[in-house]
Amino acid sequence: MKKPLTRRHFLNLVGAAGGTTAIYQTSRALGLMEDTGPVAQLDLKNVARSRKKVAILGAGISGLAVAYELERAGYDVTIIEASHRIGGRNMTLRHGDLIDEMGQQRTCNFDDDPDLYFNAGPARIPGHHHRVMHYCRTLSIPLQIKSNVSRMTYTHEENKFGGKPVRIGQYLAETRGLLAEIVHKAVNKNAFDETISVEDQERLLAFASSYGDLDPNGIYKGTLRSGYKSGGFAKPAEIFERMDFREFLSSQFWQRASFMFENPDWGEPLMEAVGGMDNIVKGFARDIKSPIRLNAQVQSIQLQQNGIDVVYNHKGKRKKLSADYCFNSIPTHFMPGIPNNLPEDYRNGLKSLQPGWGFKIGLQMKERFWEREGIYGGATFTSQRIGEIWYPSHGIHGKKGILLGAYQFYDPSMFFDRMTPEERIAYAANCGEKIHPGYSDYIEAGVSVPWRRMNHMMGCGTRFSEDARERYFSLLQQPAAGRHYMIGDQISYHSSWQEGALASAETALLDLDKRVRAETGESRKA
Amino acid sequence: MRNVIRKILPAVALLWATSAMSQDDLPIPADELVYCTVCHGIQLMGNPIIRAPRLSGMETWYVEQQLRNFSAGVRGLHEDDTIGVDMQPMAAVLTDAQIKAAAVFVNATRSTSPKITISGDTLKGKAHYSTCAACHGVAGKGNEALGSPDLTIPDDWYLVTQLQNFRSGVRGSHPADSYGMQMRASVQLLADDEAIMDVVSYISTLRND
Repeated sequence: MKKPLTRRHFLNLVGAAGGTTAIYQTSRALGLMEDTGPVAQLDLKNVARSRKKVAILGAGISGLAVAYELERAGYDVTIIEASHRIGGRNMTLRHGDLIDEMGQQRTCNFDDDPDLYFNAGPARIPGHHHRVMHYCRTLSIPLQIKSNVSRMTYTHEENKFGGKPVRIGQYLAETRGLLAEIVHKAVNKNAFDETISVEDQERLLAFASSYGDLDPNGIYKGTLRSGYKSGGFAKPAEIFERMDFREFLSSQFWQRASFMFENPDWGEPLMEAVGGMDNIVKGFARDIKSPIRLNAQVQSIQLQQNGIDVVYNHKGKRKKLSADYCFNSIPTHFMPGIPNNLPEDYRNGLKSLQPGWGFKIGLQMKERFWEREGIYGGATFTSQRIGEIWYPSHGIHGKKGILLGAYQFYDPSMFFDRMTPEERIAYAANCGEKIHPGYSDYIEAGVSVPWRRMNHMMGCGTRFSEDARERYFSLLQQPAAGRHYMIGDQISYHSSWQEGALASAETALLDLDKRVRAETGESRKA
Repeated sequence: MRNVIRKILPAVALLWATSAMSQDDLPIPADELVYCTVCHGIQLMGNPIIRAPRLSGMETWYVEQQLRNFSAGVRGLHEDDTIGVDMQPMAAVLTDAQIKAAAVFVNATRSTSPKITISGDTLKGKAHYSTCAACHGVAGKGNEALGSPDLTIPDDWYLVTQLQNFRSGVRGSHPADSYGMQMRASVQLLADDEAIMDVVSYISTLRND
């Protein structure tokens, strides 16, 4: 028997055939390279002897990860956080939690029950977010599958199909049937050019028939894939008739329900932290020994000849922290309002980032009525302002549950942000009625989190124009004067994802380590 | 080169030392007033990205007046007031005592003058300003008796938006805003955006730091 082919052997074969470019591309495809592959050991040089001081501004995911890594490498770390809590946008709301919206401060009115929580920030972890997974493993954060896609949930468009919600399974089956039928007809009418051989045409016909579940004549007449209209168990099955294809073609909305989950960030299966996404934050906090100053707002950041000074207010006093390095995860849109002497081009780079939007509503439902509709997890999509409804993957068949009642991540008009908390819940309740009649009657409590109006946040992720990214992104990935690192999901290609925050932290840490080693003439091992 | 650095460094260090010393005199906001600094910046220095104007050192009476206007919905509720709409709910929750405390804090804050971002014709602007001077003073320092605020405090971009708002009626249309209505009438003397840019550019020359 032949020896199994190892990855290295395989890469050598590829290299012999295609040269180093082929090796590089193949490595990427195999997921061996840094950015997309499994997380490499950071292997930071221990600096305990020189006690290098680090100021970390902001205790979100990026700041916590930097603190965790640097204190293990012997750095003297202080974390300064402007708000009353750590975690940044990783925020899970439970009974009694403060919702610090500017001008509309309130507390979460969910029942006091460990199953009744709402992830107001990140709520999903795809398997290819290796850094998040690495820390969940390292910090022993239990994860569970979060169903993101379900054939039983709905797609709903106010002016299509009589305003009635359609099960996503039926919708997908219908669109495939329609497309397959068109392909079938095209092949039979010889609409393709001659490069498709007769043999391939046969294969295409077979594929189309299978793809759309067509009848032997290549006609789509509806399919069991749409779900049972009735029967199928004690009585004979009745399947749905095909839908009016013109409704599909005139729809601008189908892309969300059809293709959203083909993006790898939303592709199944996704994961979530058992008991709330903020268990990741709690895991970091448990294992970080360095001081974390809460309610400490940064007043000034000044590069000095041999270090960097951070002035902050804490408990009514002004404090100065003189550090060797600063890792700054303050939202970039606050930086023009904080006195600093960072280089002009760096400051212009920070100004080129614009805050993004993010709005979520969480509703406590007194009964899990959706489970009686056959829905267990997954998301419904609607053309209404609420955008989506998510059904919880945990607490199945429990008495109550928390639904996501609205999710907007692009809304320049700040439609919900402008409302009072009560108006938002009432609006979401009305939208829900169009999908689940009786929806409002189940609502017992609700929270809304408009990130654009949350204290010390005022945004969700960042918007970089193509030009600005081209001009400034690599500059902002580098430390200003070798001492000031800008971090957070804002300095990544994955804004609004924890993986983006961790990628920026990792980039900054590796750069720092290179500099620290260079002081003693060392270099990082490749 | 090294000599130059040696000469400059102590000077820079001294500068920082003095500014650090003066930093100790800067007011620290009470917890409920930290909100102001989140948008308006540290020491209310302003933040153009958030479109929050500089307020450092603004007159107590004017801050109180405008906070009361926001609070009562006299200002900030016009559907086209895209900046005011963010401020309005912030003021709406303030108690009378908090409005007074906020005004005292605002007045005590200090920051350096903001950068000039508007390039108008200061000569033409000076001519336009002669009308403004009647209420806001030749030096632009305002006049409490006439309800006219100091114009040398806010950023130039903010003055432009407010003049445009007065002209379009986004600001100064509410019947309870008598000073705003006066201003709305006065601003009609500025014929167009160019005139607004010119007069604001002139006002920038009145800053004394």
